[in-house]
Amino acid sequence: MVSKNCDVIIVGAGAAGLTLAARLAEGGKSVSILEAGPERKLGDLVSSQIWARKLKWSEPAVSESGNHKIGHAFNAGTGTGGSALHHYGVWLRMHEGDFSLSSDHGVGLDWPLNYEELAPYYDQVQAEIGLSGDSVKERWRPQGAPYPMPPLPLFAQSRVLAKGFAKTGRHTSPLPLAINSEPYQGRPACHYDGWCDSGCSIGALGNPLAVWLPRALAAGALLEHNARVSRVIRDANNTQRVESVEYLQDGERKTMQADRIIVAAFAVQSVRILLSSATEQHSAPGNHSDKLGRYLMTHPAGTIFGLFDEETYPHQGVTAGQLLSHDDYDEKDAAGGFGSSQWMIGHAIKPHDLLGYGTNRPDIFGAELEPWLKRASRHLGNMTVVCEDIPLPENRITLSDRLDRDGIAHAHAHHDLEPSAAARCTQRMSEGADILRAAGASEVWAGPRIGQHHMGGAVMGSNPEESVTDAFGRVHDTDNLYVAGPALFPSSGAVNPTFTITALASRQADHILSIN
Amino acid sequence: MPAPLSRRHLLARGTTAGFFIVAGQWLWLTPREAEARVFDPQVLSPEQCKALSILGDALVPGAADAGIAAYIDLQLQAGDESLLIGKYLGVDTPAQTEFYRAAADNVISLAGDKNSMQTFATNMASDSLSGWAGPPASYVLFVLRADALDVTYGTPEGFERLGIPYMAQIKPDKPW
Repeated sequence: MVSKNCDVIIVGAGAAGLTLAARLAEGGKSVSILEAGPERKLGDLVSSQIWARKLKWSEPAVSESGNHKIGHAFNAGTGTGGSALHHYGVWLRMHEGDFSLSSDHGVGLDWPLNYEELAPYYDQVQAEIGLSGDSVKERWRPQGAPYPMPPLPLFAQSRVLAKGFAKTGRHTSPLPLAINSEPYQGRPACHYDGWCDSGCSIGALGNPLAVWLPRALAAGALLEHNARVSRVIRDANNTQRVESVEYLQDGERKTMQADRIIVAAFAVQSVRILLSSATEQHSAPGNHSDKLGRYLMTHPAGTIFGLFDEETYPHQGVTAGQLLSHDDYDEKDAAGGFGSSQWMIGHAIKPHDLLGYGTNRPDIFGAELEPWLKRASRHLGNMTVVCEDIPLPENRITLSDRLDRDGIAHAHAHHDLEPSAAARCTQRMSEGADILRAAGASEVWAGPRIGQHHMGGAVMGSNPEESVTDAFGRVHDTDNLYVAGPALFPSSGAVNPTFTITALASRQADHILSIN
Repeated sequence: MPAPLSRRHLLARGTTAGFFIVAGQWLWLTPREAEARVFDPQVLSPEQCKALSILGDALVPGAADAGIAAYIDLQLQAGDESLLIGKYLGVDTPAQTEFYRAAADNVISLAGDKNSMQTFATNMASDSLSGWAGPPASYVLFVLRADALDVTYGTPEGFERLGIPYMAQIKPDKPW
């Protein structure tokens, strides 16, 4: 006889997990959350790019291969809040066409839902978390409720860069952000100090610690830290049902049972947990047609830098940037490559760290360096293009032969960028250099192409033979096991995923609450 | 060598970074203080530390005084808790120690004196150093230069040096 500990177990205390925890606990469910990493509080988030590295994924390491690696350690997080604790707060809706990639273009996959079905959840979540933006100036924005707050102010850098977009016939709008431009629901307005990547300690950025965690705990959800889930276990008497999760905590192997189990451990670790749950009798949950782990995606992205005669003071503002351009977003088939793309314009930037301007000019060293850094600290402009990745079955998460000290297999992530997606990124970066020159830059250079955000691996779909979960994230060959978070995405679009992750989680919560 | 710190001084310091062996004694110091007292590294050899310090300072002047060798050695001691930028670049924690040892050994065996370090760095950037072993020289240059930027400019003092307001929400009580 198996005893039940709670109604719902959620694996992972990131954006998806804590949104679900808040919604389900407020809906009357008893909820337990198991988080692999340590407890983090807003007061722990010191303003330092060096200390910020503690928020990123560490061990067990994820090995990587392919011509466009996903950058797991940089993009993933660990501890309360997960990767959303160090996210920059760019909250954009996916466009209508992002949901029908296969039907419209014959590549990749379709979503099992369309924009109209998700739109009410975008509206609901944006009212709860508080978004700042200008829905009228976003001429490309899908229909939806106006933003509850006005946009953040523009600083010198974005005013300079906007001239380049205007001179080349392009449009810009304020970047929509989950950052308060004014006090909102008890949280203060932003200080515009550029410390978003270190985790916003004042709660102006709507990270899970500021918004969802307090609600979940107030509604009675229980959260355990340093509880690393190794696998889920099927009911021996009903293999359609998953009865418990096994996890490691304080050197002990423990199990916890519930009516429903939701794996919301970001893309790679969610898949690792499911793959590790295969037994001699049964394939891993959701892997009945060998689709688990496949269609791993990361947005190809690159930053363009320029030096201007005008003073830009690039330390001012927020890490995400100040302006947005989606002019070409819906022209996935446009000449030069394939896929959507967007510009995030005018990032607040530091001199060091992986994305810093000093780090991105390795050709300058010795006595020339400090005078150059001083000039850049007053005259630099920068902006990032984010492009669409095409979901490919060959891009996949698998279990590594390497085991950690507890005998759990590490994950391996393989990712190649499809040539037409790579061409689109190269094309846009070249255009970006032209835009900066049009804005008056005397010197322009590009950072490396990197992988931003992780999506796919446990994709949702209408056909159980072609996907891992249904449209509500329920794993096809189970009755009560769910996946939440970016692992569900069948395609990537070219927008930052946190808004869609949270809207999907909100929709999943309504669905679960509707089941007796 | 400066006189050993007194207990009163240590208590007065309040916020510090880690234990270092200085002249046979464990002391609780920031890396910058440790380097100033010629610390005894725990992972790298003294020669390796000196080599990384000289190269780091050639890349980013001020990095030696800022404590780059002590910073690297302390972070390598930290294992999974390491703050080195290498974690972003796909270098897992156990491999980082071998990475820095190999980098330092190349500098020891191939670089000339301190005055020739600029030329050495230029040849690292183009991977044109004969006899270089281990990770590519240009990659080592990128990583070590990033470490040097971290210790020299990634702190409130470094921002001040560039004339940038730090504007901390919560000021770090130690640089790393």
